[in-house]
Amino acid sequence: MSADAATAMRKVFFREAIARALREEMERDASVIVLGQDVGRYGGAYKEFAGLFDRFGSARVRDTPVAESAMVGLGVGAAAAGLRPLVAITYMDFLMLGLDALVNYAAKARYKTGGQLRVPMIVKTTAGARGQGVAHSQCIEAWAMSVPGLAVVAPSTPADAYGLLKTSLRHEGPVLFVDHKRLFPTPGNVSLEETPVPFGKANVCRAGNDATVVAHGYMCRVALEAAEILAASGASCEVIDLRSLAPLDVATVAASAARTGVLVTVEEGQSVCGVGTEVAFRVRELVPALRVARVAAAAAPVSSNPVLEQACLPDATGVAETVRRLLS
Amino acid sequence: MLRIRAFEEALMRRPDHGFQLLSSGQEAVAVGVCAALAPADQLLASGRSIAPALARGLDPRLVMAELLGKEAGPCKGRGGRGHLAAPAAGFFGAHAVVGGNLSIAAGVALAMQLRNPGAIVACMFGDGACGGGALHETLNIAALWKLPLLLVCDNNGYSISTRTADALAAPSPSSLGAPFGIPAARVDGMDALAVCDAAARFAARVRAGDGPAFLECVSARFATHSSATRETRSAEELAADRARCPIRRLAEHLAAGGLLTQDERARMDAEAAAVAQDALRFADAAPYPDPAELLRDVG
Repeated sequence: MSADAATAMRKVFFREAIARALREEMERDASVIVLGQDVGRYGGAYKEFAGLFDRFGSARVRDTPVAESAMVGLGVGAAAAGLRPLVAITYMDFLMLGLDALVNYAAKARYKTGGQLRVPMIVKTTAGARGQGVAHSQCIEAWAMSVPGLAVVAPSTPADAYGLLKTSLRHEGPVLFVDHKRLFPTPGNVSLEETPVPFGKANVCRAGNDATVVAHGYMCRVALEAAEILAASGASCEVIDLRSLAPLDVATVAASAARTGVLVTVEEGQSVCGVGTEVAFRVRELVPALRVARVAAAAAPVSSNPVLEQACLPDATGVAETVRRLLS
Repeated sequence: MLRIRAFEEALMRRPDHGFQLLSSGQEAVAVGVCAALAPADQLLASGRSIAPALARGLDPRLVMAELLGKEAGPCKGRGGRGHLAAPAAGFFGAHAVVGGNLSIAAGVALAMQLRNPGAIVACMFGDGACGGGALHETLNIAALWKLPLLLVCDNNGYSISTRTADALAAPSPSSLGAPFGIPAARVDGMDALAVCDAAARFAARVRAGDGPAFLECVSARFATHSSATRETRSAEELAADRARCPIRRLAEHLAAGGLLTQDERARMDAEAAAVAQDALRFADAAPYPDPAELLRDVG
C-alpha cells in the first residue's frame, strides 16, 4: 500500500467493489434500499450484495418474489415518493418484464409531471453469456440507450463498478447499471478514497496510434486481448472503454479516431441498432475520413451449447482480424 | 360530483379537446374514495383521471389548463390527458398504461410505510386492468409486506368494447383479493354514500397497518371509453345505465330527507357550470409551452 493516502489502492474483486459502493452509500443516505431476488441473506446471485443484509437489515435489503415487472414498478414508485432504491434484475433478459415501469414511467416521470416528480433509482442487471442459454445471456443495453431520460452505464473494472455505482446512487434520475457475469470474479485495484466516476466520460484504457477499438463491459477485456495480439505483429491499438452508454462520450472516441483513422466497435449484443452502430455513426459525423467496422454477436440466439455460444460471440482473434483488415 | 360532470361537459363542448377519457357516470367512485383520504395520503389513478383529480381537490382551472396543453397546468402542459399529477396536493398522478400505476402505487406505499407511517396510498384502476399480471403481482407483494395500499377497482363493465366477463375468469375483480388474504368488498359504485362508507372503513383498516384492502365499485360510464372510440352498447343499455346516475341518486336521497331543496340544487348546478366556464376561460388565457423548452425536465 502506498504511503500517499490519496493514491492508496486495494485489490478487490468486481463483486466486492459493488458491495462497497452500496455499503458506503447506504451508510451515507438512509433512503437507499436494495430490492431483488435473493439479495438478502444469500447476498445476490454473484455475492455482489454480500454483507449488506447483516449490516442494514431486512427493511432496507429486501428479498422479493420472482416478479420483475412489479419489482421495477415498485422501485420506481418508491423512488418517485422519496426513496432511492436499487432494484436488482438477476439477468438482463428478465429486464424485458420490467421495461414498462422503467421506460413508460421512470424515464418520463420528471418530464410528464413538469418537474414535480423525479425518479432517482437504479436497475442493476447482469448481462452476457456464460453457458446459461438463449434467455439468460443477452446484452440488450443498446435498447435502453434510445430512451430519453434514462442513463445507461456498463463498467468493465472493479474501480469503475465502484465509481459508477456511487454516481448512480447520487443521480437524480433513473439509471440502468449493466454488469456482466464474467466480470464478477475479476480483480482490480480500487482507491481507498471515495472515487465516483462521472457519467458520460469514456476511459482510454490502452494508448495506441494505428487503430481505435471501442467497447464496454466485458468486451473491454476482449478488446485489450486483441490489442495484445496486434501489438505482437506491430500494430498499435488504442482501446477505449465507453463506461457510460447514455450519455455517450463521443468526443473522446472521435479524438482518438481522428488520430488513428480506424475505428472498430466491439460489443456482445447485436450490431443492428447496436451500441457500435450508434458510436460509429456519431464519430463519423465528426471524423468523415474514417475506416469503420463493427464486431458484435452473430444474429442468432445465444445457445447454452458451448460450441454454439463460442461461435456466436466476439472473441479477441476476431477483433484482431477485423482491425488488421481495416489496416491492410 | 356536479362539478366533475359540468367540467367534463364544458370540456367536451370544446372542439380542441384532443381526445379525452371521461368519468361521467363514475363520479361517485372518485368522490367516495377521496372522502376517505387525508391530506398526507396519495391517490394514483388510471388514465380516466378527471374525476379523481377534481375529487382530490385540484383546482379546476389548473386541471383544465393541463388537459388543454397549457403551461399553467400542474404538469406544465406536458402530461395532459391521462397523466395529470399534483403530488404536493396528494394526487400522485394518473398513468395511462392500463394497470401501469399498480406497482408504482405499491412503491409509493412502501415509501409511506418506511418514511411516513399513518399515511396511505389509494390506487384507482379499471376492470380492464384485472386480467393483467400487474394487479396479481401487486396484490402479492402488497399482502406480503403489509403495504398501506387501498386498491380501488372502478368496474364500469367494459374495457372499451369487451365485457368484464369476457376478459376475467374470476367471478369479479374483488374476488381476486381472497387468494392473497386481502380483505375485499364489492359495492354499488353509483351510490356515493355506499362508496364513502366502504372506502372509509377500508382506509381506516389500511391506515391502522393491517395491510392492503381491495374495494370494487360497480359503476357505469355514460360516454364511450374515450372520445375517440365507438359506442357498442345498445340504446336500452345506455338508458338503463343513465337511470342509475349517481348524481340523481344522491340528490333524490337528500331531497327525500329534506336536505336539498329544488332551489338549492339549481344553485349548485349553476355554480358547477360557472366553475367549469371559469376553468375554461383561465385555460384559454394561458399560454402553450414554448417549443424551445422541449427538452426541459427530460430524465
